[in-house]
Amino acid sequence: MASVTLRGITKRYKDTEVLHDVSLDIADREFMILVGPSGCGKSTLLRMVAGLEEISEGEIVIDGKIVNHLPPRDREIAMVFQDYALYPHMSVEENMSFGLRLRKLPKDEIARRVGEAANILQIKPLLKRTPRQISGGQRQRVAIGRAIVRKPKVFLFDEPLSNLDAKLREEMRIEIAKLHQRLHTTIVYVTHDQVEAMTLGSRIAVVNVGRIQQAGTPEEVFCRPANLFVAGFIGSPTMNFIDGTLLDEGDGPRFKNEVMSVRIPLPLDAQAPRAPEGGKPRSVVLGIRPDDIYAKPPEPADGPDLIPAVIEVVELLGHRKNLHLKAGETKLLATVDAAFAGKPGEKVSVWFNASRVHLFDKDAQERISLEGRRFPR
Amino acid sequence: MENANTARALASSSARGQRAENGRAGEEYQKALKAHHLKRKAWLVLIHAALIAWVLVSVYPLLRIFSVSLRPGDRIVSTDLSLIPAGASFLSYWKVLYETNFLFWLWNSLIITCATATIGVSLAALAGYAFSRFKFPGHKTGLTLLLGNEMIPAAMLLLPLFLMIMKLGLVNTYLGMIIAYSVTSLPFSIWILKGYYDTIPKSLEEAALVDGTTRFGAFLRIILPLSTPALAIAFLFNFTQAWNEYLVARVVLTDARMYTWTLGLFELQGQYLTQWGMFAAASILVTLPVLGVFLYSSKWLISGLTLGGVKG
Repeated sequence: MASVTLRGITKRYKDTEVLHDVSLDIADREFMILVGPSGCGKSTLLRMVAGLEEISEGEIVIDGKIVNHLPPRDREIAMVFQDYALYPHMSVEENMSFGLRLRKLPKDEIARRVGEAANILQIKPLLKRTPRQISGGQRQRVAIGRAIVRKPKVFLFDEPLSNLDAKLREEMRIEIAKLHQRLHTTIVYVTHDQVEAMTLGSRIAVVNVGRIQQAGTPEEVFCRPANLFVAGFIGSPTMNFIDGTLLDEGDGPRFKNEVMSVRIPLPLDAQAPRAPEGGKPRSVVLGIRPDDIYAKPPEPADGPDLIPAVIEVVELLGHRKNLHLKAGETKLLATVDAAFAGKPGEKVSVWFNASRVHLFDKDAQERISLEGRRFPR
Repeated sequence: MENANTARALASSSARGQRAENGRAGEEYQKALKAHHLKRKAWLVLIHAALIAWVLVSVYPLLRIFSVSLRPGDRIVSTDLSLIPAGASFLSYWKVLYETNFLFWLWNSLIITCATATIGVSLAALAGYAFSRFKFPGHKTGLTLLLGNEMIPAAMLLLPLFLMIMKLGLVNTYLGMIIAYSVTSLPFSIWILKGYYDTIPKSLEEAALVDGTTRFGAFLRIILPLSTPALAIAFLFNFTQAWNEYLVARVVLTDARMYTWTLGLFELQGQYLTQWGMFAAASILVTLPVLGVFLYSSKWLISGLTLGGVKG
């Protein structure tokens, strides 16, 4: 059991800096997810914690001890690799006991721990086989087993599920969640899959271009994305982004562009201008998740807050429908109830759930609305 | 009633038609299948004929030498084409073994060859690993130089090699020979092993490092066991090179007691008379150790051992 602290971590390869001054506190027993697109530096960060990658600048602290110069074997960590990295010339049992044998544990203790892990992961019948003789999902279980038996202070997972097919991935995801509940150990888990990030993590750190964009609980990251990148990366289908300006015409802040004028009932942070005051109005980006857009057939009595749009494509997902809409030049994706009867080419009136609107500064790309919607609904 | 009968008749006639159709299609299919099988067989016969011819061409000289070694007297040229000649005897073998220093030469060769192969492979295993896994100044240049070294003809290296060995006072010693041999075959072994290590995923060593080994421990416990096919190839290469070498041995070894079998064999070739029977017998005898090493190491040559450890 241990906490992990990253302080000002920088990584350079010759002249290219891939991680810039990254700091993160991972509490004891926390399930921390590092999520981001490929090449963002999340795996490098994990490998630095493991000791497989040198640290150019900064400090990594595991359980109160600076480990910068400790080799991997002295960091009391265990790692599960994306490609499993099972030793092909050893049986499953030998693979799992390898670390324990190196530490010269008594034989009966090794047998007990391997048996225990095999029970948890349901791989007891496979112990005598070699990695070549078992399936991908089973190999991943063995790789996890090899980590468990070591009883490390911190588990590191490097995209462990990305090589499995969709169904198996879902199964293993649940297994890993159960495992965390059972072992109650600190886990640092790298993934590019935002579903894994949302479902597994007690906290998520969204990484992009070598920086942590936001770290918080899945709810925080989903409901109050700190910037445009996080807003676009977390959530599926992705958030709609609409360019416009922020104005105050007497009835509170309004988001305006050529097709819409949306009242923003949210408190804005101090920097957000409530009125142009003679100067140019502030350029902003409005973010709205497809679930928070509503549509209905147009009526003559529709007020100015409704946005006229045309249905371009309808995708039936089962209990929901994706509506691809076009309002002026703006494309919108709305997810509505499957009972919605609109067809491609038909006109609709669209409105947003105003309490779930996100506002971002167009230049700084940072969030300007202080409070987002509360979660869950 | 009549309608029903007609319907039944129609149905049965159409069923007959269908069956006939099926029959025809079946026949055609069978015919195509037969033609396919015939074609395959013809190919197999052709391929095997070519292979057998090749084997005959390869084995014939060996058989001839075997035949010469059995002939009484020292006749190399004979009109007799039989494999086992008239009056065949193992006399030449007996004479080679007991009337010459052949066993001495064999012993010298064996010591030099085994030491060369072992030292050469050990050094190459380590150097290849460094070239495969680490980036260091001179990494690329080193590899290129090693390759370039392979392109220099042996005869060109002869003089500098001799001078070096002389200066080191290693003329007429096992050590001199071992150094000369392992140095010359090292570049090739390094390249072979480096190439093989490159195919082993780095994550295997990283897993071992995290599991508690040192870098060297990971090399010994994970990389070496997985590299047996490449190690076996490098060993065989070193072994056969050193075993069959003549040129360097001719220069470095001057004392007849230190001769390797390649030098010794030419002792049997006099100025006016060559003892062809003994020459042939000795030739047959020296192939036996190499044959043994090859047969033994063939089980290590099975590749694909790394399969399944990581996602394939």
